[in-house]
Amino acid sequence: MRSRGAAVALTAAVTAFVWGLLRAESQSAIAALLALAVAAGFVLLKTRWLDPLAGAALANERFAQGLAVASVAALALVLRDDDFALLLVTRVLIVIVACLGLNVQFGYAGVVNFAGASFFGVGGYTAAVLARATGLPHVLILLAGGVTAALTGTVLLLPILRTRGHYAALITIAFALLFRTFLEVNDALGGPQGLKLGEMRIGPIRFNDPVGIGPFEGSFYLKYVAVALILLALAFALVLRLERSWIGLALDAVRIDEIAAASFGLDVARWKIAAFTIGNFVIGVAGALSAFMIGFIAPNNYTFAESLIFVSVLLLGGIGNPWGLSLAAAIVILVPEKLQVIQEYRFLMFATLVVLVLLFRPVGLLPRPLRRLVERSP
Amino acid sequence: MSVDVVAQYVMNGAMLGMMYALVAVGFTLFFGVLDIIQFSHGDVVTVGAFAGLAAWTLLTASGVTSAGVLLLAVTGAAAAVTALLGVGVARFIVLPVKSAPQLNVLLVTLMGGTVLRECLRLFYPGGSQPKLFPALLPTSGWTFGRFFLRFDNVILLVSGALLIAGTHLLITRTRLGLAIRAVAQDEETARTMGIDFRRVVLVTFALGSALAAFAGVMDGLYYNEVFFGMGLLLGVIGFAAAILGGLGNMYGAIVGGFLFAALQTVGAVALPFASAYKDVFAFAVVIVLMAIRPTGLIGERASERV
Amino acid sequence: MTAPLLSCRGLTRRFGGVLALDGLDLDVEPGSVLGLIGPNGSGKTTFFNVLTGLFPANAGESRFAGQPITSWRPQAVYRIGIARTFQRSRMCLPLSIFDNLMVGNHLHLDHGLWFNLVRRRALRRQVEECYQAARDLLRIFDPPLADRMMEPASRIPMIDRRRVEVCRALISRPKLLLLDEPSAGMTHEETLRLMDDILQVQQQLGGLTIILIEHEMSVIERVTRRCVVLNYGRKIAEGTYSEVSGDPQVRQAYLGLE
Repeated sequence: MRSRGAAVALTAAVTAFVWGLLRAESQSAIAALLALAVAAGFVLLKTRWLDPLAGAALANERFAQGLAVASVAALALVLRDDDFALLLVTRVLIVIVACLGLNVQFGYAGVVNFAGASFFGVGGYTAAVLARATGLPHVLILLAGGVTAALTGTVLLLPILRTRGHYAALITIAFALLFRTFLEVNDALGGPQGLKLGEMRIGPIRFNDPVGIGPFEGSFYLKYVAVALILLALAFALVLRLERSWIGLALDAVRIDEIAAASFGLDVARWKIAAFTIGNFVIGVAGALSAFMIGFIAPNNYTFAESLIFVSVLLLGGIGNPWGLSLAAAIVILVPEKLQVIQEYRFLMFATLVVLVLLFRPVGLLPRPLRRLVERSP
Repeated sequence: MSVDVVAQYVMNGAMLGMMYALVAVGFTLFFGVLDIIQFSHGDVVTVGAFAGLAAWTLLTASGVTSAGVLLLAVTGAAAAVTALLGVGVARFIVLPVKSAPQLNVLLVTLMGGTVLRECLRLFYPGGSQPKLFPALLPTSGWTFGRFFLRFDNVILLVSGALLIAGTHLLITRTRLGLAIRAVAQDEETARTMGIDFRRVVLVTFALGSALAAFAGVMDGLYYNEVFFGMGLLLGVIGFAAAILGGLGNMYGAIVGGFLFAALQTVGAVALPFASAYKDVFAFAVVIVLMAIRPTGLIGERASERV
Repeated sequence: MTAPLLSCRGLTRRFGGVLALDGLDLDVEPGSVLGLIGPNGSGKTTFFNVLTGLFPANAGESRFAGQPITSWRPQAVYRIGIARTFQRSRMCLPLSIFDNLMVGNHLHLDHGLWFNLVRRRALRRQVEECYQAARDLLRIFDPPLADRMMEPASRIPMIDRRRVEVCRALISRPKLLLLDEPSAGMTHEETLRLMDDILQVQQQLGGLTIILIEHEMSVIERVTRRCVVLNYGRKIAEGTYSEVSGDPQVRQAYLGLE
């Protein structure tokens, strides 16, 4: 009970910190807050408090998840009039969803995907095209975004399955570059200007209208936060259940040692296909939602550099750990947005950070814990 | 199609092929010695081109006008900077993670390449825009009908060929080359034979990167412009060419480079409607290639022991 | 004379210019332990690799329980009841010991998407059953290890890892077990203990057939009924241990004597 109280207090503190960061306007205040966070993180790492903390959260997982959701909800409600802050929160949630998909491919099955942003873009472009050209309900369009991304991925499957390691990387890099160039020269899809999307609508809820329930008023972004949170909860549940199952074990075996996996009956190709397709579906849905929220899409948003940002989120957070990548996504999205001075330098900054992490703490911020299929203390 | 048009295409293809070959040979050297893919190699090419440009800018600003001196300075600066960069990458980024899973090396060099690319974009004056690269070679040439054989292209091709031949000689006829080949064959045994593994690795990286520098300068001289992202394209295609020829096989890399250029040129001829699609076509070819012949046309040397 | 469980005829495998297997003929009686011996590079591990489908045979055929399995993929070979250990340790070190054991249990696990994602209670039941089975098996080999199954495999010493790998091969209750130098890195006592444990499981499984590649001749002498001696990919002798150890061809192969 005491530790639960401490956990609530800690979560409240972190939520307050994030609120402060999102509300702060002056660059020096933001820089100070970030310095504080970096110092706290450093202290946690050096005093070796980080891993036990993570372990405690894992031991009380339902509680921790509830706290996280409550924290985001509270944040959204408190910030209900701040359009930009809510936009940032939603963007973080959407990026977490996309990176969860990438995690299934990369973290679990070991399928390198340097075209994450391209599949994100496929989802976005699908949403744009379907929303403009058809009257399909927007919920279906979100799903269609995922399906198209998954189908696009199948094009790359044959080469990916026949190759290994560095070769497979080349395939997705080539695809990432191909995709962006293709979009730019293709006028049917808007060319370099891109496409605009109309307002998103789910049933009677119109997503460009501000929220007004009795005395409660708020920005229309609140609706997006809600949808993104639901999507995130679903994706999180999917990924966690996947990992803690025989499927997760099969994926890990395929990633770690294909020969042993094959020798014990695992169809390596089938599992890589499954992971790649499921991952791309999740990424595509996230991309579709993102397109609706921002209102337009352009090839510039889906470059190879953006794909590397997704991969960086995974590497910084701790590959294979959904909580780690959530933390990293928040850092990667919020810091450049608030600290304007580094906005231009974000690719450089995160690339350098990843190099440092790979050299000095390759497991990332929150290393992936052992699989818990059986509820027993070790 | 008339002979002179064909000749023009052949010339374009040859130039492109030479550049890809130079980059591909670099990849081959790195893979041969360390069994790694140095994904920042393409961006090292870009750094080479920019280093040459910087040298030219500095020298012309100080009043140097002799084309010969400038050319020498540009090439020299490019090679020196990239050789140093290559050694730095090897020493600080690649060798430390050598024992980690191969994926880590891939990631670390990929990110390292991004660091280089972004540094150029952000810190080189006007780096985010394409920069004009000086024409330092004589632009005169010989005319055969409607085909204008440019003197500078010939020089570039010949010097590229000489460089590759020189590298080949270095690898096959010198003691250093022997050491490189020994390390590429079997690191353990090479060490026990007294070969300084680290030194060989560093020298190999310097060599491969210097070759990249020449590719970068050549790219700049040929297209008369450089931009911060040029290495990415060259790197991907160079890597693909190296794979096509079989990673670890130097001749394969050269063949792969020219084959790739031929594919691109043929593609440009067959699909004249959009030169922008030429890149799309190239990348698509890379992907298809991987589907058909995952270990290259000539075959990778390494294989896993069960 | 019972029909052989495994029967190979003219099995050939080439690697570039090297003839690793040269027309190998081999029969294994059901329920027996066959020793496969020969100097380094004589093709023993290659035989395992070709048999289990990791490398296709260039020529020849193999039959298992009457079925021709020559061109079968490793997954199919496993499913028909052939499991193996590897010469060099092939564990999934980042995973727990239990996970590693379950890698070998694919035959008995439900990998359906619906089962694993939605029917969580049924999944938990299956996990419990597998946990008990794994514990019972591991207890035969190393009782303290059986209570540490949720620990990461990287934390246990090499000898325990090799024991876990043997259990990984046994957990699916195979019909044929291929052991590739299981005792590498073990002392004489540890090796004897390992072989005794394996024989105990063999009894429990009611007639598991075993092919054992081993360099320690005392082990071969003790546990095998018959031996096959390979040299340069061909069979040069066959018989009981005492028969082959006295064979001059065998002695020459091993010791280079005339």
